[in-house]
Amino acid sequence: MAEQKTIHLKIRRQDDPDKPSRWEAFNIPYREKLNVISCLMEIQKNPVTAEGKKTTPVVWECNCLEEVCGACTMNINGQGKQACSALIDHLEQPIVLEPLTKFPLVRDLMVDRQIMFDHLKTVHAWIPIDGTYNLGSGPRMSEVKRQWAYELSKCMTCGCCMEACPQVNSRSKFIGPSAISQARLFNAHPTGEMNKHERLAPLLDEGGIADCGNSQNCVRACPKDIPLTTSLADLNRETNKFALSRWLRK
Amino acid sequence: MSTTQKPYHFLIRRAHSLLGLVPIGLFLTFHMVLNLSARGGPEVYDKVIATMQGFPGIFIIELVVIFIPIAVHAIYGTWVVYSGQSNVLRYKYARNWFYIIQRISGLYTLVFITIHVYLMRFSEANFAALSEFLRQPVGLVFYTLGVIFAIFHFVNGLWAFAITWGITIGPHSQKIWLYALVVVFILLSGIGLANISAFL
Repeated sequence: MAEQKTIHLKIRRQDDPDKPSRWEAFNIPYREKLNVISCLMEIQKNPVTAEGKKTTPVVWECNCLEEVCGACTMNINGQGKQACSALIDHLEQPIVLEPLTKFPLVRDLMVDRQIMFDHLKTVHAWIPIDGTYNLGSGPRMSEVKRQWAYELSKCMTCGCCMEACPQVNSRSKFIGPSAISQARLFNAHPTGEMNKHERLAPLLDEGGIADCGNSQNCVRACPKDIPLTTSLADLNRETNKFALSRWLRK
Repeated sequence: MSTTQKPYHFLIRRAHSLLGLVPIGLFLTFHMVLNLSARGGPEVYDKVIATMQGFPGIFIIELVVIFIPIAVHAIYGTWVVYSGQSNVLRYKYARNWFYIIQRISGLYTLVFITIHVYLMRFSEANFAALSEFLRQPVGLVFYTLGVIFAIFHFVNGLWAFAITWGITIGPHSQKIWLYALVVVFILLSGIGLANISAFL
């Protein structure tokens, strides 16, 4: 890429969830190998728009800076991405930054992804271990299974799949691909498998797996390359078997 | 998402998926093949229509096998369309286009079938009447789009059907099934267009 003198950014600002949003443009002196976060830090140092107007520093959220926590996920040039791994040299300019649209806005580029964590609770995305006494060691997990399950465990609840999913919106209760994939991960675990029914039952409810629309955007949008559509199809099979078997035994 | 058990949601979504193939998709295929009789000329076609309409209990069969399944599939499908929010301009993936075309074709097919049934079942149904309708450019475009969209909706629905029922789980099997369905789409569309051209 040819060397550029300045980096042009266009950021959707919003002071408060109830206030209207506005666009602000910023120019940042070019340096090599910057990412979106380092640009936002430059703005923080000198919050002046491209027109020379003084403004407030842009609010965003970040944490690990190595694409494993998901906190800095935002819409970069129209698609959900992590701002830490979004390298300026790879992006088309002006770089348009917007908050994720599927979550309640806090301020500027910061959203509240609490609903994703609530969905993890809904599908029991954990393995119950010792209670009041030691239950002893659990069954072993085969190495082959561990290897593919590891891929699913890379999910950082960042919200890219939710942002890309047409079925996740204000008119639908769909819990989204990530929570469903986590149900598959914990069902694959030999100890987790013992509570399989607790993860499959909520998937039959409104907002569960049947609300998937097969647009398959999730698997394309996932920054961790998690086979989300494979998880969805696999759990389709599992929930079908589970629902039928539960009904026949009623 | 509530924690109370409402398994009806899952049941109705699965019923919606199943109805698309049995009986609606199978009826569509039968309907397309049967209409090839129009290529034999007005006499053959009108005789087939008369035979079908004279079939004992045809009204009950039409009601149970055709009308009710299509009505349920269409009413619930319209709700499904409403509950989605396309983002194809931001995420320009082929499957995302299929997602929106599936919904557009479904809605168009609903309008098409309503008018089609009105024309063919509740007014004069014979070769001459349909031929007259199809000779108008608007009628021809309306019918051609209806036939192609209905077939697309069925065939693309079969692609999703295999996922919904946990048959094609991985991306590879989904791709192979897609290729197979492309062949089905071409075959059915060929038959559909041959039917229409018989009336021109």
